[in-house]
Amino acid sequence: MGGKTDVWQGTLALMTLKTLETMGPQHGYGLARRIEQTSGDQLQLNYGTLYPALLKLEQEGYIRSRWGTSENNRRAKFYELTKAGERQVKKAAAEWEQATEILARFLTPAEEA
Amino acid sequence: MRKLRAILMRLFGFLHARRGEDDFAAELEFHVAMHTEDGIRSGLSLEEARRQALIRLGGAEQARQAYRDRRTLPWLESLLRDLQYSMRKLAKHRGATAVAVLSIGLGIGANATIFSMVSRFVLRPAPVGDPSALLALHIGEGGMPFSWPIYNDFRAQEKSFSGVAGYYPLLSASLGGNGEPERVWGQAVTANFFDVIELRMMRGRSFFSSEENEPVIVLGARLWQRRFNSDPAIVGKTVTLSGHLFTVVGVAPVAFHSVDQLYDAQFWVPLGDAGQLAPNFPSQSDRINYWLFTVARLRPGVTRTQAAAELEVLAKGLALTAPEASDGVSVVSKDRTSFTFEQAGTLPSGVQRMAALFLTALSVVVLLVLAIACANVANLLFAQAVERQREMAVRLALGATRGRLQRQMLVESVVLGLGGGVLGVLLSLWATRSLSALQLPIPVPFDFAVEMDWRVLLYAFVLSVASGLLLGVAPAWAAAQPRLANSLKGEDALARPGRRFILRNILVVAQIAMSVVLLTMIGLFVRSLQNAASIDIGIRPQGLLLMSVNPQDHSYTPERTIAFLTQIQQRMAALPQVDAAVWTDRTPLSLASGSGSASIHLDGQEKGTFSNIVTVTPGYFQTLGVPLIAGRDFGNETASGPRTAIVSRAFVDRAFGGKNPIGQHVTCHGDSYEIIGVADNVKQSTEGDYSYRSFYRSLAQTIHRDSAQSDPSKNNSLIGGYTLVVHTKGNPQAVMDSARRQIHALDPSMAIFDEKTMEEYIHSAFFFPRLAATLFGVCGGIGLLLALVGLYGVMSYAVSRRTREIGIRMAMGAQPGTVERLILRQGLVLTLIAVALGWPAAWMLSILASSFLYGIQPHDALIFAVVPLFLSAIALVACWIPARRAATIDPMKALRSE
Repeated sequence: MGGKTDVWQGTLALMTLKTLETMGPQHGYGLARRIEQTSGDQLQLNYGTLYPALLKLEQEGYIRSRWGTSENNRRAKFYELTKAGERQVKKAAAEWEQATEILARFLTPAEEA
Repeated sequence: MRKLRAILMRLFGFLHARRGEDDFAAELEFHVAMHTEDGIRSGLSLEEARRQALIRLGGAEQARQAYRDRRTLPWLESLLRDLQYSMRKLAKHRGATAVAVLSIGLGIGANATIFSMVSRFVLRPAPVGDPSALLALHIGEGGMPFSWPIYNDFRAQEKSFSGVAGYYPLLSASLGGNGEPERVWGQAVTANFFDVIELRMMRGRSFFSSEENEPVIVLGARLWQRRFNSDPAIVGKTVTLSGHLFTVVGVAPVAFHSVDQLYDAQFWVPLGDAGQLAPNFPSQSDRINYWLFTVARLRPGVTRTQAAAELEVLAKGLALTAPEASDGVSVVSKDRTSFTFEQAGTLPSGVQRMAALFLTALSVVVLLVLAIACANVANLLFAQAVERQREMAVRLALGATRGRLQRQMLVESVVLGLGGGVLGVLLSLWATRSLSALQLPIPVPFDFAVEMDWRVLLYAFVLSVASGLLLGVAPAWAAAQPRLANSLKGEDALARPGRRFILRNILVVAQIAMSVVLLTMIGLFVRSLQNAASIDIGIRPQGLLLMSVNPQDHSYTPERTIAFLTQIQQRMAALPQVDAAVWTDRTPLSLASGSGSASIHLDGQEKGTFSNIVTVTPGYFQTLGVPLIAGRDFGNETASGPRTAIVSRAFVDRAFGGKNPIGQHVTCHGDSYEIIGVADNVKQSTEGDYSYRSFYRSLAQTIHRDSAQSDPSKNNSLIGGYTLVVHTKGNPQAVMDSARRQIHALDPSMAIFDEKTMEEYIHSAFFFPRLAATLFGVCGGIGLLLALVGLYGVMSYAVSRRTREIGIRMAMGAQPGTVERLILRQGLVLTLIAVALGWPAAWMLSILASSFLYGIQPHDALIFAVVPLFLSAIALVACWIPARRAATIDPMKALRSE
């Protein structure tokens, strides 16, 4: 349980929520691919950890799931944002931006010098 | 919030494990299928694409496991598995489990019962709205009620309270209507009473402020259920109380008996109207007639400290006590110049200390019992743990961590503890019911019912878990001990020479020491009971029947009362089985002070306060078997004739220094009495009453006076009525029915109460010593039994563990006698250490307990000498049986046994 995993947990959740916000309802596989695409294929997700993360978000009430039919007519589980999830995206995004901004202030002067 | 939600969801997931599993399998299936399709599209073969998909997933089984861990609560799951395993284990050792659960159950049961009393008398708030802001106000440290004028002045001046209300705690009335007339007790309250205490009526409403003088009544729920069959339309109907009609306006909730939680009232009427029910209802004009119990609700935002400060100021401004007594009755005015208060519904400060001591002593005893039970069970579990070393070693070898094994053992012992807790609560339910069924020997109704409530259940639960954990410590320690190699070979790693049974020895010593303390306590209480039972009350109880009526409840005038009582007496005396029938207002051993107390003046000098003022009719002493030592009995005294009195021997000793008092005059309640006789001593108030100073007056000369004036120290309605004492040749029980018929022949509406034989009455009068001795005795007996069983168990187990060692010793030539002595010596050393520890502890505790003992020294030499000897003897026997067994061990067999 290093700090690294924790950061990943947090960012994965935010990425998931943000993707759902822009894309609307998605199934797990589609969501994973979309996240990878958005990252410009810089990220390679461990799909095995995606599902527990989705479950956690669902348990916390940020997303909900229902069974539906996929684009190629398979039964698939779709995830979508709840009201609380929408609020959480804004909150977490703001927090994250602030955090990166602070960190950036530490990093930029070093470049200037 | 989110976290809590997540936990609840996971708990839900845990309960529906199957469904979620299938769900996720389908989702995973879809994921792999999609991924495989994408792979094929990018030019891979089907197999390769599927393989890649599974790799990226990090393995299907791993994914499933990660998902499962998130979906449910893994720790709960493993805890449940531990629980399951524990249950199986406990079920397998059925005998040991039963003994353990029974031991702990007895311990917890005793504790829960005593704690029920603590909860009832110390912790339970009054069943009123916001009890913490409701204060009971008194005058002085003694907790004296208010008088009506003081109450009014106080209400007009105070600023700390949002409401002040008063009540007269006990008012007796005869309830008519369907069925035989019945005497019921109620309270007279100010019209705002229910509003101030914020009591919500079960039905109907409370009194309006305009109803201070109206004939309206609030019924208690129990009276309403019992007497009116829970009539749903009771509100608005009228009931007959002592011949007067009252309109029912409401029904008070079941839990509400009285705001002080001590009296047991069944109805409430407005104060202004109460005079109808009690002709001698206390005066509302007399400033020093203290009878109004007062409660007040703190204004929001006002603290108790602020209220106390205001009360202090107010007390200075209000004349709380008269400088001089009005009619020769001196009112002690010391320490009555201030207000005191406590939260309404808590015990009055005077009783508090006594109750606290009593309950503390009991709590100590029951905690000791529980401790002994725990020590017992710990020993048992420890023995099992030693037996199970091999199992533990195997599990360790298979990869279980020691922590995991320890948790398993703790779960097991906590299960035992909880099992004991359940049994204990059941036992305690039964015990509290029996306790509540006991009757107090007082003619006024006290609310003494003890019952289980949530506080008791919580306490029992905490105790169960705590004792479970405590029990588990030793086995858990043992579980983590095994040296793998030795244990797997079947060697006892805990029984290495040099540190043999250290822990168990400590347990045994603790057990015996606690038993010494317990047994000493029981001994002292049994002795105390014996003493109380053998105390000479001063009367001959055989063949006496008691039966009470209160003509004042029926608005009899004094003349009519006298005529009524005389007629009954004549009718009774005419019955063939009856020798004699007399009246008194106060039977011996009646805790409450009948005619109140007064100071007796002789030659203008005060001779002290005499609380036992008894009113009797001629023939009283002969009927009750009290010898008249000097002078004569009452004869044909008349209300207008010169007043006469008979005094007790102790009275003479105190007031006259033993000189002949016949013909002397004394003043009581402002009247001069000529002493015409001296009677032998009788215990009037309690079995612990050693003053014996009684002052007997003739009924014919007192009834008039008592009713004509309301005497501050005399309140007949509080005690209520007169008791007929009938002496019969045969069984007094047989006369009861004909006695009832005689009374009802004269007045069919007269309520008859407290009918019992004098022997029954005396039995119930020994309530407190009996209660104390029963409680202590039962608890102590349980503890002793547990300790003995434990001691025997430990010693015999010790021998069985040493079978091989003894075998070797005997093979080497030790004689059976030597072996026996070896075992005995070991037990004896433990016993001696324990007695040396327990004895001083018992000595200290007995000082605490001495406040409840009648007539014996707290350090009763006999008890303190016998108990250690007795326990040592028992311990010796407990050691001797296994020692005998050890001596008969066949060395060959013993060596082959392991």
